[in-house]
Amino acid sequence: MTLFWQVAIGLGALAIWEWGWDLHAQVPWLVPDILDPYFVSKPSEIFKQFLRMGCLVSPRGEWTLGTPGAFEKCIGRSENNLWIATYFTLKNTLWGFATGVSSGFVLGLLLGRSDRLSEIFYPYITAFNSIPRIALAPIIILAFGIGDASKIVTAWLVVVFLVFFNTFEGARAVDRDHINAARLLGAGEWQVTRTVIVPSTMAWLFASLTPAVSFSLIGVIVGEFIGAEHGIGRMIIEAEARGEAAGMMVAVFVLMIVGVILATIVRHIQAYLLRWRPASTMAT
Amino acid sequence: MPNIPPDFAPEELRCRIEIDRLRKIFLAQGREVLAVDDASFRINDGEFVALLGPSGCGKSTILNMVATLITPNGGDIRVDDSVVVPGRPIRNVGYVFQKDTLFPWRTVEGNIGYALELTGVPTEERKTRVAEAIHQAGLDGFGRFYPASLSGGMRQRVSLMRTLIARPEILLMDEPFGALDTHTKLDMHSVLLSLWERERQTVLFVTHDLGEALTLADRIILMSARPGRVKADFKVDFARPRDAVKLRETPQYAELFSKVWHSLGEEFAKGSSPT
Repeated sequence: MTLFWQVAIGLGALAIWEWGWDLHAQVPWLVPDILDPYFVSKPSEIFKQFLRMGCLVSPRGEWTLGTPGAFEKCIGRSENNLWIATYFTLKNTLWGFATGVSSGFVLGLLLGRSDRLSEIFYPYITAFNSIPRIALAPIIILAFGIGDASKIVTAWLVVVFLVFFNTFEGARAVDRDHINAARLLGAGEWQVTRTVIVPSTMAWLFASLTPAVSFSLIGVIVGEFIGAEHGIGRMIIEAEARGEAAGMMVAVFVLMIVGVILATIVRHIQAYLLRWRPASTMAT
Repeated sequence: MPNIPPDFAPEELRCRIEIDRLRKIFLAQGREVLAVDDASFRINDGEFVALLGPSGCGKSTILNMVATLITPNGGDIRVDDSVVVPGRPIRNVGYVFQKDTLFPWRTVEGNIGYALELTGVPTEERKTRVAEAIHQAGLDGFGRFYPASLSGGMRQRVSLMRTLIARPEILLMDEPFGALDTHTKLDMHSVLLSLWERERQTVLFVTHDLGEALTLADRIILMSARPGRVKADFKVDFARPRDAVKLRETPQYAELFSKVWHSLGEEFAKGSSPT
């Protein structure tokens, strides 16, 4: 039943998008101007454009997959086709995610476990945290150029704070009794850190992974908006410059797919790593 | 040591834990509360001693001072003739908590093998010893389970084995079965008795349950209501090996029960009256 409604709502929305504007001439008060295909294109147009941009259909309108070499030829023609753009965006997103998560975790752990350090750095962290991270993107592009580095730095900046705050809270919330238990079982300071503080803080880190990967993608796209040679963000800007709503929509659609896939993968990893949590079903 | 009968081998009466005029003051809402006052006793090698008293009499506080978790305000604790320093746990001493302190991110095997990992026992030997411990605790088949999917009684068995696997010679237990239902508790008494009667560790066992103390211990040290002092020392000389269930039906048990109960009852009455 749920599935029925989900499909019905999806198809309904697509139908309004596709044919809604046709009603505008008859009943203008019913159809908002935003449905103008000049702004939002149409699902059928977007699909055709997707096939062209993805080199599945040649500019002459023939399927490339049937003729040998046609797909490669099409790919080679443009420097920022859908595949290359997706590759660059994905690569930089994962780098931003990896660097942001690892550095955020280390910083959170250090400050979370040391009252002295957290006291010293408190005002700086509060100040930096109040800057909308995206506002720094132009500065980062200026400093790191229009290559991959600036995208990774932007993504890192967005991710690191998120992970830092989660880890910080987690490091403070380590159960005193677990630490005592470890000590009484013979653990030294370093062993307590390695076998109790890190794993119990990890639980908090894992909880921040799904938002972190989405944030990383946002950081990369914003970086690409401002200045880039490759990437999906760059595609959107190019299509906008040409007034091609369908092109922008294809890029947004691909971003949605990328976002869903990344989030799903991370959620599965997270569920696996947190399998010891009470919420999960019986082990084995 | 004074008054050692000549027919006793000195080893048999070797003192493992000595508590000497121990004091502890807590701050509660700005007021000083005397929790433990001038408590002294000694525990010999291989003795199973129950520290019995009403809630809030400071028995757990004494135990935690021995375990180096709490700093005393006065007096001395000696374990094997060396003075205990707060914050520096002694090797050879194992501690079993009342609260569930299993590491939730480790499996049953991982929890039990923890102490062996710390000391770098080779993987093969560790596996063998963990498997043996799992079997002894009646947890066969649960090795790969996480604590969250175990019952309270099973978790406490894992806790017990996590401590025992390092083969401590001295065991400190803080009401380890206090949170369990009566049936599970009796079950745990059998498990503990069979394990202890084999190894004969020196045990200091804190409890407010007289039945539990009589079932398990060789000696019961009775504490007074707050401020905690040692009020009486009873010998529990039921034959071993003991059967946790059948023991309760014997006349000796009933006799000793009523004797200690009377003394304990006075303290419960004091403990519940406003001070």
